[in-house]
Amino acid sequence: MTPTPVSVITGFLGSGKTTLLSRLLRDPALERTAVIINEFGAVGLDHLLVESSDEQILMLEGGCVCCKVRGDLVRTAGDLLARRAAGAVPAFERIVVETTGLADPAPIVHALMTDRDVAESLRLGSVIATVDAAAGVETLDAHPQSVKQAALADRIVITKTDLADPAANGLAARLQALNPGAPKLTALHGAVDASRLFDGRARNDPALYEAPAHHHGGIDTFCLRRNEPLHAATLSLFLQVVAEHCGARLLRLKGLVDVVESPGRPAVIHGVQHVFHPPAWLDAWPNEDRSTRIVVISQGLDARWLQDLLEVLDDEVKACSIS
Amino acid sequence: MSSHTIDRAAERVLHGALRLWGVEGAVSRERDALILRTHAGTKVRLVRAAASRGWLLFQDERLLGEAAGLPGLLRQLREELAPRAARGRLIVGSPLP
Repeated sequence: MTPTPVSVITGFLGSGKTTLLSRLLRDPALERTAVIINEFGAVGLDHLLVESSDEQILMLEGGCVCCKVRGDLVRTAGDLLARRAAGAVPAFERIVVETTGLADPAPIVHALMTDRDVAESLRLGSVIATVDAAAGVETLDAHPQSVKQAALADRIVITKTDLADPAANGLAARLQALNPGAPKLTALHGAVDASRLFDGRARNDPALYEAPAHHHGGIDTFCLRRNEPLHAATLSLFLQVVAEHCGARLLRLKGLVDVVESPGRPAVIHGVQHVFHPPAWLDAWPNEDRSTRIVVISQGLDARWLQDLLEVLDDEVKACSIS
Repeated sequence: MSSHTIDRAAERVLHGALRLWGVEGAVSRERDALILRTHAGTKVRLVRAAASRGWLLFQDERLLGEAAGLPGLLRQLREELAPRAARGRLIVGSPLP
């Protein structure tokens, strides 16, 4: 059975998540969508604002999905699949989870990437972050959680563009520097091209692996580059050391890696904090640039430290290699 | 890359690791070894051995341990110098969509 994609809509309080979701669900292309909404308040309200068939909207109440009801999220998604199999709900093709405005998306993404009970039937789709064009800059300055939401997103939707111009107030540039690989879309009253939100982004898009160095508000974005190919063992050891010692300081890592043992077929690596997808292999380089590029979004990690780590590890692996 | 360049890189990796673990200290080079001194008074001498042995760790001329490579060295040092530092574990999840 093909795993059902689960996409996550995150974004700070009042940034337009529900408006976006409500509008998306009116799109005929997204008709076969089940929705899980998590609210922080004792009584859920957001689900009343989403216009869709009730049986495909499930509420998770009693806490923020990232810290209190993560297990509930996985169970609820599993229940939805069971109800679909039994014909109790219309046959949906995707699940969308709307988080609370205060949620850290990382644990949700981890749950969807690693939970054994659902791994065969669900797969992580895209992580979408909404950012308010009018209040976005102030929100990013004042609330680290909003920075993390934008940093972890695969796509960023800038909302309320009728109220402010994100290019003029610096929000567009700020988001580009923070998460250069994520396409930025604008939405007026939630109207956005749904196909650009949920279609899987080509992992061989070179833009994913480019990032000028940037530091703002405690978040560093930079790109490690290497012209010589790395040994596969180096890559594995590098990820182990980073996961072991960098902990939650590593927000996101995306890379296109030239591997000695796989000439002409680069490895694609993607991770959120210490949880990584298995490396995937492209059939060819996406463009003429054959260098290893690893984009890191972090809270206080030093680019030079990671670059040195890579060099020393590869030197050790080379010394142990049987030629 | 020359061994000198790699030694400098290893020195910086160790210094950066101290910062990651919240340990105040410094790393310097003395002849064939890297010397790690913490402000709390711990001194560890790290000697890079042949590839099969990797690294040797000495404290007061006493062999503290061996590590086949940098990952093991960092792990041993963290346990020795910062046992309460956060310790992560690589988890490999579902395939990329």
